[in-house]
Amino acid sequence: MLAEIGLVATLLAFFTSIYSIGASIYGERISRKEATVLSGRNAAILTFVLLLVAMMGLMGALLNQDYQVKYVWSVSSPDMPLFFRITALWGSQAGSLLFWSFLMSAFSAGATIINWRSHRRLMPYAIAYMMAVVAFFIGLTLFIENPFSRWWILPNNPVDSQVVDSAFIPSDSVAPGAVELASSANGLNPLLRHFGMAIHPPMLYLGFVGFVIPFAFAMGALASGDLSTNWIKASRRWALVAWLFLSLGLILGGRWAYDVLGWGGYWGWDPVENAAFLPWLMGTAFLHSVMIQEKRGMLKTWNMFLVIGSFSAVIFGTFATRSGLVESVHAFARSGIGTPMFLFWFSLTFISVGLILWRRNRGELKDDHRFTSILSRETLFVLNNFIFVALFIAVFWGSFGAPILSELLMKTNITLGKDYFMRVTPPLFAALYILMGIAPVSAWGVSSARRLGKAMIVPLVLTLLSLIPFYLTGVHTGGALVAYGIVLMAGWVAIFETYRAVVVRVQMQSENPLLALWSLLRRNPRRYGGYMIHLGITVIGIGVIGSTLFQMETQKTLAVGESLTIGGYSLRYDQLLKGQIAEDGRMMDIAEVTVIRDGQELAHLRPRRDFFPQTQGLNTMTISGAYSTVENDFYVLLVDWEPINQDAATFKVYINPLINLIWWGSFILILGTVFAMWPKELLPSRVRESALAGALVGKGA
Amino acid sequence: MTDMTWEKPSQPVAAPRKGERTKFLIGGVLIIAAVLYLIISGTTGNTQYFMTVASVQNSADYVGKTVRLSGAVIGETIQYDSQNLILDFTIANIPQETQNLALTLHEAVSDPGAARMKVHLENQVKPDLLQHEAQAILTGALGEDGVFYATEILLKCPSRYEESVPDQSIKSET
Repeated sequence: MLAEIGLVATLLAFFTSIYSIGASIYGERISRKEATVLSGRNAAILTFVLLLVAMMGLMGALLNQDYQVKYVWSVSSPDMPLFFRITALWGSQAGSLLFWSFLMSAFSAGATIINWRSHRRLMPYAIAYMMAVVAFFIGLTLFIENPFSRWWILPNNPVDSQVVDSAFIPSDSVAPGAVELASSANGLNPLLRHFGMAIHPPMLYLGFVGFVIPFAFAMGALASGDLSTNWIKASRRWALVAWLFLSLGLILGGRWAYDVLGWGGYWGWDPVENAAFLPWLMGTAFLHSVMIQEKRGMLKTWNMFLVIGSFSAVIFGTFATRSGLVESVHAFARSGIGTPMFLFWFSLTFISVGLILWRRNRGELKDDHRFTSILSRETLFVLNNFIFVALFIAVFWGSFGAPILSELLMKTNITLGKDYFMRVTPPLFAALYILMGIAPVSAWGVSSARRLGKAMIVPLVLTLLSLIPFYLTGVHTGGALVAYGIVLMAGWVAIFETYRAVVVRVQMQSENPLLALWSLLRRNPRRYGGYMIHLGITVIGIGVIGSTLFQMETQKTLAVGESLTIGGYSLRYDQLLKGQIAEDGRMMDIAEVTVIRDGQELAHLRPRRDFFPQTQGLNTMTISGAYSTVENDFYVLLVDWEPINQDAATFKVYINPLINLIWWGSFILILGTVFAMWPKELLPSRVRESALAGALVGKGA
Repeated sequence: MTDMTWEKPSQPVAAPRKGERTKFLIGGVLIIAAVLYLIISGTTGNTQYFMTVASVQNSADYVGKTVRLSGAVIGETIQYDSQNLILDFTIANIPQETQNLALTLHEAVSDPGAARMKVHLENQVKPDLLQHEAQAILTGALGEDGVFYATEILLKCPSRYEESVPDQSIKSET
C-alpha cells in the first residue's frame, strides 16, 4: 500500500514539475498573465509536497519491513536496528535518487517562497530551471531506478525466471510469501552501518542539490535580461548554505573513512571523493568573486561561469559516481542512468554557456570597473579564483580527464594515482594560503605595497613565534616549517584583522571586547564569518600537513601481555574477546589493549574485527580504536588473530600527528559559515535597533 | 568606519596604465605556464597503465614498470602471513569486463586455461574484501621471476555492486 502511494505521488510530482516549467515560462513570456505564473509557482511548491509524500511512502515501507518492495528487500533485513532502517533510505541507488529529488524540490520550494516577493522578475525563470532539474531526477526514479518496484512471481514462466520486479502488478502474477522474502533480504551494506555514513550522504546531497538555487537564479538572470546584481543578492546566501552542507559532507566522509575503512587516512584522492570536491572548489571560487561583483560591478561573465561550473560539476559528479564510470570504493552498481545523466549534464552545460555567450555578445555583461593595480583586493581575488579554477582543472584532469581521454583517443586505460595529486595540488594549496594571508589586508581599487607590508608585520611576527613550538617538537625540515608558516600566516591575519576591528569598537563604543566581537559578527557577518572560516581552514591545514608529513606506523604480532612501542607510546595487548554478538547480528572479535606513555596508562582501546554472517560479499570489517589528543591520534587496528592459538594477535598502529585539528578546524569553519549566512532580519531586535540607531546618528552627523 | 583598509579609494579609478596592463599580462601568462607545467609533469610522471594479466605476462616490456592490473582472485591461493603482514595470492586473467561482473569473475576463476599470475604484497593488512572471485585492482610492477609485486590493492566484490535477485525459493507460497 505504502509503495503504491509513493509511486502515485512520484508520478504526480513528475507532472506538476513539468507543468510548473510550462506555466512559468508561458505565463511570464507569452500570455503575460499573473494567474498562470502564480499557478506555475504553486506547482513548484506542490512538487515538493508530493515528493515528501513519496519519500514518506518509501520510508514507511522500510519501517514497515515491506520486503516485497525490491528496494526494501535489497537494503534492509529483519535484524537491522531502527536507525539503520531509516538511513537505508539513501543506502542504495534507487532510494538515494528519490531522496535527492526530494531534497532538491525542498530547496526549490524554499527559494520560491523566500525569494518570490523580493525577486519577482527572476522567479518564473528560476522556477522553470529548478523544476527542469527536479523533473529530470524524478524521471530517473520513475523510469530507470524505481524504488517502488516490487517482487512478483509469474507461475506460468519457465522455472528460472518466475521472479520478476515491477512497479505495476503484472498479469497472472502472485505476491511472494512474506516469510520467504524476509529471510532472504539482503540487509544494508556493512560499510554503511556507521553514524558518519548515516549522515554523510544527506549532508553531501544537501550541498550538491543546494547549488541548484544559485544556478537557477543565474540562468533566470540570463533568460530574463535582469543582469544587475539581483541574482547574486537572491542566491548568495543559498550558495553559502549549499557550501556549508557540501563542506560538512566532505568532512564527515573523511571522518567515516578514518573510522571505518581502517587505513589510517581520511582522504585518498579517489575519483568519487574528487567528484564531490570539484563543486566545492568551484563554489568557493564563486563565493569569493561574487564580492567583487557586488562591490565593484566587475567579473560579471566570470561569475556566471563559476556558478554554472559549480552546478555542472555537481551533475557531472553525480553522473560519474552513479553510472559506474570510475573505479572506486564508492561506486554504485553499473546502472542504466549513465546515458540519460550524461546527456542531461551535457545539454545543461551547453545551454548555460550558450546563454552566457549570447548575453555577452549583446554587451549586457560589461564590467563597471577595470583592474587598476596588481596589489588591489580585486586582483588578489581574481588570483584566488585563478588558483581555485586551476585546482579544479588539475583534480578534474587527474580523476576524469586523463583516464577518459586516453580511453577514447588511445584505447589505453590509464589512471593517475595518488602521487599525481600529491605532486600537483600542494603548490596550488600553498598559493591559496598565501593569498588568504594577503587579500584580507589589501584594499579595493589600489593598495600600496608599503601599506600592505605594514599591515602584515604583526601577523608575520606571530607566525614566526608560533613556529617555535613546532620546531621544539621535532619539525626541523625547512619545507615543513615553510608549509606550516604559510598556513599559520593566513590564520594570524584573520585573527589580527578581527582583533583590530574589536579594538576600534572597544575604543569608540566603549563596549567590552566580547560584546564588540559579537556586534562585529552581527553587523558584518560575511566579513567576520569569513575570517572565522579562514581560521578554520588554517587549523585544518595544520592538521593536514602534520598528519601527511609526519605519520608513523608499525605492526607486530603480540601474545597476551606483550607490548609494542612507537613514537614514545607503548601498546599492551590485554585480552581477546571472541564472538561477541551485536544488536544487528554482527559478530565481533574484540582485542582489548592499553595505551601507555611514560609508565602511565592513558586509555583502554578496543580495536575489533566485525563479521556479518548474513551478508554476502563484503562481510568483514576492521574497526579501529583510537586515543586522541591535540598532539596526535594513537590509531590501532586488529589485523588478525591466530584461530588456533588465541593468544597471539597482530596489530597495526598509526601515529597521526595533529590529525584532530582537522575535525576542530572543521567545527570552526562550520561555525563561521553559519555566522556568515545568518540573515540579518533574524537578529535579536535589540541589536537591530542599536544598528538602526547607529545608522540614524551617522546620517544626522 | 571601523577598519581603514576596507575603504574604497577616494580618488576616481582610472583605466590601468600601460605598465600595469603589461604586468597583468605577464603575471597571467606566468601563472598559466606554472599550472600547466605542474599538471603535465604530474601526468607524465604518474601515469599508470591499466592492464590485463595476459597482456602483462606476454610482453617483457612491462617487467619493472609500474602498471595497474586487474584480475580475479582465486580464493584457495590466498596466503597471509599475519606476523609479517605479507600477502600472497594468485589472480586469473579477466578477458573482458561485461555487465555481469559476478559471472565474468566466476568464469575467469573457473577457466583452467586462463592466464594466471602470482601476486605478492608486503606490509599489507589483509583487506576485508579479499576473497574468492573478488576483482583485485593492483598497482605495482612485474618482477623478473614472473611474480607481480604490488604496492596497492583495491578490491571489488560483485555482490556489493549488483543487486541480486532473491532466490527462487521466495515463490514457495504459491
